[in-house]
Amino acid sequence: MNSMLLLIIVLFALMLLVGGKQGGNSFLALCVNSLIIMVAVILMAGGFAPVWVALIASMIILATTIFFSSTDMEVAAPAFIAALVVMVALTALILYVDRYSAAAGFGSEDGEDLEGMSVAIGISFRQIGVAAGLMSTLGAIAEAAIAVAAGVNELDVDKDRVGIKRMGREITGTAINTLFFGFFGSFVGLFVWFGQLHYTLAVVLNNKIFVGELLDVLFSIIAVILTVPTTIWVVRHRQHAAKRQA
Amino acid sequence: MNYKRMIPWLLAAFALLAVWFGLRNDAFLYHQPVAEVLSVRQVRSTAEVDSNNNHDHQIRQRVRARFLNTNKRGQVVSFNNDYNTSEGIDFPLRSGQQVFLNHGAAGYQLNDAKRDTVTGVLLALVVLLLILFSGKHALVTMVSIALNTVVFYAGIHLELGSHGNGPWYLVVGMALLFTVLTVLFVIGPRSVAVCIASATILATTAAVLIGYAIMVSTGYKGIHIEQVKYVTQNPRLIFFAQIVIGSLGAVLDETSDISVAIFQLPAAAGQRFKAGMAIGRNVMGPLISVLFMIFMADTFTESILWLRNGNTIAYTVSWVMGLGFVQSLISAFGIVLAVPITSGLAALLAGRRQTAK
Repeated sequence: MNSMLLLIIVLFALMLLVGGKQGGNSFLALCVNSLIIMVAVILMAGGFAPVWVALIASMIILATTIFFSSTDMEVAAPAFIAALVVMVALTALILYVDRYSAAAGFGSEDGEDLEGMSVAIGISFRQIGVAAGLMSTLGAIAEAAIAVAAGVNELDVDKDRVGIKRMGREITGTAINTLFFGFFGSFVGLFVWFGQLHYTLAVVLNNKIFVGELLDVLFSIIAVILTVPTTIWVVRHRQHAAKRQA
Repeated sequence: MNYKRMIPWLLAAFALLAVWFGLRNDAFLYHQPVAEVLSVRQVRSTAEVDSNNNHDHQIRQRVRARFLNTNKRGQVVSFNNDYNTSEGIDFPLRSGQQVFLNHGAAGYQLNDAKRDTVTGVLLALVVLLLILFSGKHALVTMVSIALNTVVFYAGIHLELGSHGNGPWYLVVGMALLFTVLTVLFVIGPRSVAVCIASATILATTAAVLIGYAIMVSTGYKGIHIEQVKYVTQNPRLIFFAQIVIGSLGAVLDETSDISVAIFQLPAAAGQRFKAGMAIGRNVMGPLISVLFMIFMADTFTESILWLRNGNTIAYTVSWVMGLGFVQSLISAFGIVLAVPITSGLAALLAGRRQTAK
């Protein structure tokens, strides 16, 4: 039996067992997102502008992640709006930074993987880098937005400002831990390589691949930091509007 | 707006400018020649078509630059920069950009871009935003990350001492240290910390064991472990190290959410377990997608390269995206298993603490 298939089946079983119907929904969201990621990559390779493909794919991924994992509209709706706002701001930041970083495409350490390949593919690797940078932040944005929206709904937005502030800080802190370990994790191989070839700190800090990866993590962290106040603002706005109507 | 509230923001903007200025003028720290581009002129553009009928342009720039360090400081140098418009392995230069140069037989040549300014400024931006939005809490997070970075660095060095063939328990030791350090910093030396750390370790171990058992029993069929990037020896160990370390933060996030909530709940063990499961069910989906998006986005560049080089979609998904999927799946095991493990452990431990009172 194919290893991948068995891994997928076991995950599905575990999620159903632990999460019941909600676990099944979360698994479904993962399947939909996998499909969207594959379609997005195929479209980019097919010549569609990578940044636009990424923006549209990102909206769908945010929607599935948020609405499938939270059935409560009071949580999901403001979380989704806040996530979209952060996504747009982040796109601008990534486009700007990637213009100056010259970190897209492949580094000299990728040489072996490029053997026999033509890199003059007629698609801008810088734009692909922007697309990848944006899409790698989506999970973190969605997670933070849901956590904040759910937390704020339990507290009183106007009276319990201290509580809300503390909750925001805790969510930011744990999310940063999650992201940094994810970064360390994708980095073990590259760091062993750096060490074996005795790269100096100066070389590492200017290394194309290292900088590209580090920038992506920093984008995610900025996304989380911005998601917290944005979500609080959206929830507060909605509650005030609801009060005015009542 | 209140003027007093603007002061921290102004200070932050000033600090950011200072970092930018410092890094623009740090060439004296480098041994390699650093130069700043003065002007760029496009001298040639050649259309290119490769064997897969990809249309691209090869462009030659004539670049004038001024040395910023070494004994040539202040002198002007000219060289050519060739790049493809797709910028796969090379890139265009802009005036004002700082670059490293190499001295070869044909005079000075472009070596690479100097990237410390953009990295440093963005890093400073993150630190400043954290301080502005999270205050003291940010400091704890940053110290914990700094310490973990030291552990990571030391671990990699030990691994290198064994010539890239380090034993698996080195990875385990690193993971244990990461867990204990992070929990101590985020939670502090409280009884709930013991619960969080043990649940994290148990869940991660269970996830890796299940993942390993599945892959071994199916003979790694359909998984191209040799595709682990930048690894020459022992790709399996490195791959599992990546999974363990990569998922640790997400699992820790979840176990602390559940444990802290359960420890505050004055109820019977059974009810506490149920409450923990309810919290876990809500957070596990989004947490899985955090890692999933990070791991998958990492494969975009290479996937598109493969597709444009005439590989089929199925082949590209299996060979390039495959490992990203596997990493996400095994990490997801840990995140899902952490829910019942933490709920059970917290219900038991919290109960014991309360009866002891």
